[in-house]
Amino acid sequence: MDNIESLIPEDSGSAPALEPIAMVALDAGRMLMEAGASANGVDEIVAQFARGLGADRVDLRIGYASLAVTIGIGPNGITRMREVGHLGVNQRLDQELWHLAARVARGGLTPQQTRAELTRLATKTPRHSAWVMAVAVGLACAAFGRLLGVDWLGTGPVFLAAGIGQLVRRELLTRHVNVFICASLVSFLSSLLGGLGAHWAHSNTISTAMIASILLLVPGIPSVNAQNDILEGHPTLGSARAVTVAVILIFAAAGLWLGQVLLARSFGI
Amino acid sequence: MDLTNLLYGLLHPDPTHSGFFLLHQTLCGALAAAGFGVLFNIGFRSLPWCAVSGALALAVRTYCLGLGWNLEAASFAAALIVGAAVQVLRARADISQNALDVTGCIPMVPGSFAAKAILGMFALTTASPADASGTLITAVQYALRVTFTIGAIGTGLAIPTLLLRVRVSR
Repeated sequence: MDNIESLIPEDSGSAPALEPIAMVALDAGRMLMEAGASANGVDEIVAQFARGLGADRVDLRIGYASLAVTIGIGPNGITRMREVGHLGVNQRLDQELWHLAARVARGGLTPQQTRAELTRLATKTPRHSAWVMAVAVGLACAAFGRLLGVDWLGTGPVFLAAGIGQLVRRELLTRHVNVFICASLVSFLSSLLGGLGAHWAHSNTISTAMIASILLLVPGIPSVNAQNDILEGHPTLGSARAVTVAVILIFAAAGLWLGQVLLARSFGI
Repeated sequence: MDLTNLLYGLLHPDPTHSGFFLLHQTLCGALAAAGFGVLFNIGFRSLPWCAVSGALALAVRTYCLGLGWNLEAASFAAALIVGAAVQVLRARADISQNALDVTGCIPMVPGSFAAKAILGMFALTTASPADASGTLITAVQYALRVTFTIGAIGTGLAIPTLLLRVRVSR
């Protein structure tokens, strides 16, 4: 942290040199945050990009929906802000951003070249196909179910219900459906399918199978990030994440409750 | 022990038969962590490390629960050991630390407790809830266990990171 005496008010005459550095560093931080990083990771990557591109001083403010950075070179300084989009999880993008940060920190890349690399990462970083994700999520929820005590007869229905729920969730998110509404809809569908499947398979753990079928919706990374952020000195961001996690859980539980009521009324389960 | 007995023990794990139960929980932890690794878009080459991380978390938690620890303490110990192991492994795995340790601990996040706590709260809002005080106490117990377990996991993961990470100079 610089002494307050050393900070110089913003000099608009310096903007042409500082502007690209600030915006490229902010975009790197935004992309990392949207890929599921904690506040400290965002703080570090913005500092690496800005310093690698020539900044002497970097100060970052991290909010839930925006980032603001002040960078300085010599006596000149500039402050810029950038909106942050939906906070998802994309670890391959996270990894690629850190590789790029290491290249930038070694020097030799201009802001324009770095911008081109960021654009390439945003568009070219591969994602698993919808079917691979559905199968993987189905297996994960089935394993979760076993950990919770679902019997083997209920494990197959949990696999199918969670896999179908993941396919539907991906489709809904692609259509920009609100994440909370999406959590309720997927929870309702998956719990209903998991409960019906477990009933038809003569499982003795129908209720647990219904819960296991919706565990794909539990926001594990945001909940751990929330606490990390608070522990690492970002209580406002951590609190905002915690509230979001709580609301997602409430909406998911509402879908589960609806599924349970429907099964109880229709099939007496 | 022949293969048939081993498979039977794995398919029908008895919590009192600690060897099979530990192996069953470990395998399920590995599968759950790898599955969520795909959801988090971790590359196929790095998925085995996620599975190892999840297996380690569930093995430690199951072992500690077997010693009579409560869920929160066992989850804390497991997260602490996973967090420390990831600090050692991450250079070799070429994967971000956040991905590896959090993915490993995902199978320990008490999502079912959270669902039961909220469903219990919903049940209290009906016109004439049966056994309202019992339902309330159960719901609060689940909510507290969720809070403390997530707190234990987050703290357990954060301690090795906070102790061992070198901050970028500003």
